[in-house]
Amino acid sequence: MKIILPNTTINIMQEDPVCITSILDKLHINPSEVIVSRNGKLVPEDTLIGGDDEIRIIRIAHGG
Amino acid sequence: MSLGNPVTGGAERCTLCSEPPVIRLLLPDRHLCAAHLIADVEERAAQTIHERELIKPHDRIAVAFSGGKDSTALIVILSRLLPAWEDVSLVAITVDEGIVGYRDDTIRAAEEVTKKLRIEHVCVSFKDIISDDLDTLLIGRETQACSVCGILRRKALSVSAHKAGATKVATGHNLDDEAQSVLMNTLRGDLPRLVRTSDADSHDCFIPRIKPLAGISEKEIAAYLFVQDMFPFLPECPYTRHALRLEVRTMLSAMEQKHPGTMHNLIKSKRAIEKYVDWRAISEPIRRCRECGDPCSGELCQVCMLRKSLGK
Repeated sequence: MKIILPNTTINIMQEDPVCITSILDKLHINPSEVIVSRNGKLVPEDTLIGGDDEIRIIRIAHGG
Repeated sequence: MSLGNPVTGGAERCTLCSEPPVIRLLLPDRHLCAAHLIADVEERAAQTIHERELIKPHDRIAVAFSGGKDSTALIVILSRLLPAWEDVSLVAITVDEGIVGYRDDTIRAAEEVTKKLRIEHVCVSFKDIISDDLDTLLIGRETQACSVCGILRRKALSVSAHKAGATKVATGHNLDDEAQSVLMNTLRGDLPRLVRTSDADSHDCFIPRIKPLAGISEKEIAAYLFVQDMFPFLPECPYTRHALRLEVRTMLSAMEQKHPGTMHNLIKSKRAIEKYVDWRAISEPIRRCRECGDPCSGELCQVCMLRKSLGK
């Protein structure tokens, strides 16, 4: 499972199935400050992910 | 009710139909698919406009349009609601502060959106207002970035809105922004600013400001755009790190995550206080700036004070 972080670095995680909330917890990311896509589609954070999923975490809070 | 996922408690379907959910919202707890999220956001914005009478027939709305996500959502929503109003027109105003590596991308994004939506678009720069860009003005005073930028941005927006014949200025402030402002004004002990009403809160001298997205969270706005392939992937303003708002935002979003409803409750408190406080009794009367004649509360307006401090 590939996790693309807000700063575009990539983490490969082996554990599955796992809830997105647990991933965000591990990465110390507040779910209120991001949206998350799985294979390009937006999903809620209580979604179960794993296998070959590509998860992208997008930071939403911007100045300006 | 959502159908629970046996392992995670998550839903496999939208609460309102059988499509896959894209977001989980609390208060009330529901999972929404893309179509129902779009409808929900647009209905709530329309409701805010209707309940607070933000837009009236024959209004010309100047949309403060940075090209970022909040103002993009605002202009998309207003353009879709436009046919419901009698003789209302939109004009987008983008302020170019002159921030290298940041604003060029957002201006390009703004141009693309207005072209697609066929909305008149005006761009005004800080150079037009104070003869210098923000990067130059801030050399040696980077920590004041947000206050300097805010003063000049309001001025640039006001000048352009007047020129465009606007009767209202719409901004993309969302629920998170509004809750952050309540907390920031409380932390600063700034009662007049805390209780100033959010909608059309200006004196006769100013074009009234409206915030149609004030009841919608930042996350809902981001999701609303993402599911329509309109989320602008743009760089963050390099000066944001100096802002008190950044600290407040982090604190408040952590509180919201732990105690859902915190942001709504802050806004509710502000509205309750507003009912009991006479804003005019605690605010300075509106005067005219002795340098430029613009409305202000002291002898000089903030722009003229800034000009003096910058030696302009």
